[in-house]
Amino acid sequence: MIDLVEVFERAEIGPLTSETDYYMKRFVPKLSEIIARHGIKWDKNTIINTDDDLTDRVFQAAVDLLAEAGAYCPETNRVMEFTRDEILLACGQCPTATTFGEGRERNVMRGRRPDTTDDRPWVHVGGGIYTTDEQVFMDTVEKMASFNIVNSVSVPSILHLRGKDSRVRSPQEVLAACKTVRLAREGIRRSGRAGLPIINGISAASQPASMFAASYPDFGLRPSDGFLIDFLSELVVGYEALQKVAFYNSLSANVGSTSTPLFGGYAGGAEGVAVTATCYMIMGNLIFRGSYHYNAPLHSKLHLSSTRPLIWAIAMSNAAIGRNMGYPMVNLPYLGGGSGTKQYHYEMACYLLAVVTSGGNVFSGHPAMAVQSDSLIPDDHKFHGEIGLAVSNLTRAEAEPLAQKLYPLFGDKLKDPDKGLTFQEVYDPATKAIVNDDFRRAQDEVRSELAAMGLEVPVS
Amino acid sequence: MGHEELFEQLKQAIIDQDQDAVMSSVNAALDAGVEPKTIIDQGLLPGLNVIGEQFECEDIFLPELMQSALAFQAAMAVLEPKIKESGNAGPKKGKIVLGTVKGDLHSIGKNILKLLFETSGFEVWDLGIDVDLFKFVDKANEVDADVIAMSALLTTTLVGQRDVIEALKGQGTRDKYKIIIGGGATTQAWADTIGADGWAGTAYEAVNLATKLVS
Repeated sequence: MIDLVEVFERAEIGPLTSETDYYMKRFVPKLSEIIARHGIKWDKNTIINTDDDLTDRVFQAAVDLLAEAGAYCPETNRVMEFTRDEILLACGQCPTATTFGEGRERNVMRGRRPDTTDDRPWVHVGGGIYTTDEQVFMDTVEKMASFNIVNSVSVPSILHLRGKDSRVRSPQEVLAACKTVRLAREGIRRSGRAGLPIINGISAASQPASMFAASYPDFGLRPSDGFLIDFLSELVVGYEALQKVAFYNSLSANVGSTSTPLFGGYAGGAEGVAVTATCYMIMGNLIFRGSYHYNAPLHSKLHLSSTRPLIWAIAMSNAAIGRNMGYPMVNLPYLGGGSGTKQYHYEMACYLLAVVTSGGNVFSGHPAMAVQSDSLIPDDHKFHGEIGLAVSNLTRAEAEPLAQKLYPLFGDKLKDPDKGLTFQEVYDPATKAIVNDDFRRAQDEVRSELAAMGLEVPVS
Repeated sequence: MGHEELFEQLKQAIIDQDQDAVMSSVNAALDAGVEPKTIIDQGLLPGLNVIGEQFECEDIFLPELMQSALAFQAAMAVLEPKIKESGNAGPKKGKIVLGTVKGDLHSIGKNILKLLFETSGFEVWDLGIDVDLFKFVDKANEVDADVIAMSALLTTTLVGQRDVIEALKGQGTRDKYKIIIGGGATTQAWADTIGADGWAGTAYEAVNLATKLVS
């Protein structure tokens, strides 16, 4: 595989082009041509693809896209070009297992093949949610880490500093990042699982200075945690990302290559998102030297990922990588329904049915439309981890009819989702016990409904 | 071929994102003696309206929208000089300065907005991404803008929208402009907090909002 210095060099020597020309003369026409070349078509009646030939064509299309369109570096206005041989060599040499955590919490996240029913997927919980209060932050992290099915946690995304938001690139952002990491590690220690890895201790949107500062070992992060570095949509590789790549690779830290291809953006619809998402995973290994991929396709208008075409595209990208590379993957679900609602659980179950059977690991998501501060409710994430583990016993063909039953329960509500609950509305502040009957009832009812559909979800 | 048939052809060429067919129909209409303004109003804009609706319904996506917009812009490059020559240039809907605020590098939503504004008859100055607040202020002043439109995707960049409004107030020019905001991190509540004139959840809503505000 070409080395990192050579990768960085590609941003300095590729063809000069404006961003508009990159999209209009390279990315958009190439993507469209490549989709047609490989005959990639989403059957609108399908949620989970089971056609392996189509899956492999999506992978080939993703290789073609990177080989023919290249990536774009806005700082140098150059296209980063890679030959097909370089791309395929990187695909063949990508990591298929990544070790996270310390002590008895040290564990391996594996790249999974679709329809693998005899391995336990990695269980990651806690999509980032805005949290305003330090006590809620600590309680949230401690509670998530305390669930025994959990292999790693994300932590709430932003802490106020003296009651105020920290602005991007400000000194307050550096302080907030350091403080977040310290509190997150402390919350995990309090759970009794000090070695548990944190996968997004520092938001990928943070400036490099904030990420580097918060990575200072005294604050509690270790190379065996996960550090997210993101591409900008679509196929944009900025200097800030490459600075992070240089730093975290120098530490031999676990790098989570992160991407958010936009449905309705330059990638177009379901087929374009499937190919582009797959392409990002190839780029994550080749350009970022990722240890795992954090796949987060998103609807450009609804700002969520649980629409029918998006679930198909996300699952397809998992299957394409699972069959052809084996790169470990997690997928961040952005859901419409608010925390604690039945809609939220239906969306999560449908999403997990698709991605886990297609080769992804388990990742509990978070509300994106009905989002509000302090709405990360750990017991939601425990429930979703349990659903993910139950789903891992199924094949895609077994999961598809269940997904078809679930989708009508939330599909029409995505534009106006049910509002949810906050941490404070669910838990007793002193004992942290669940005191909200509606919250408990919603989970119980969905668990029963899933069982009636044929998916038993054991309580862990 | 009658004028109605020409307009229908032109409309369909825009819908088909076929720049060659658009130019061929525009030239045919000009040869037939149709006024440039009429070609725009009865051929190009009805086609763009259909494209806008298709985009909103997710029948087409940004690439198709951009192809139609490019075809429209190519036609306008021929028609606008003729309109100016004839002295019949009608006013644009309004002048818009737009960009993604300081610290935010996200461009797709802003690019969609730019296209929809342009094809809806607004004159647009796109300042790009990561825009310094005084660039908004200075450009709006320079072009005598009607609307300032600011996008922010990240919660940590929201304050950039507030700062532009504060700077305009400081200069005593806040009331000269209608200010609209949007982007993933924004809400109507945030728009109310910072004193924006409106918030839009989608690019399409933003165009409708701006149209309403300048009318």
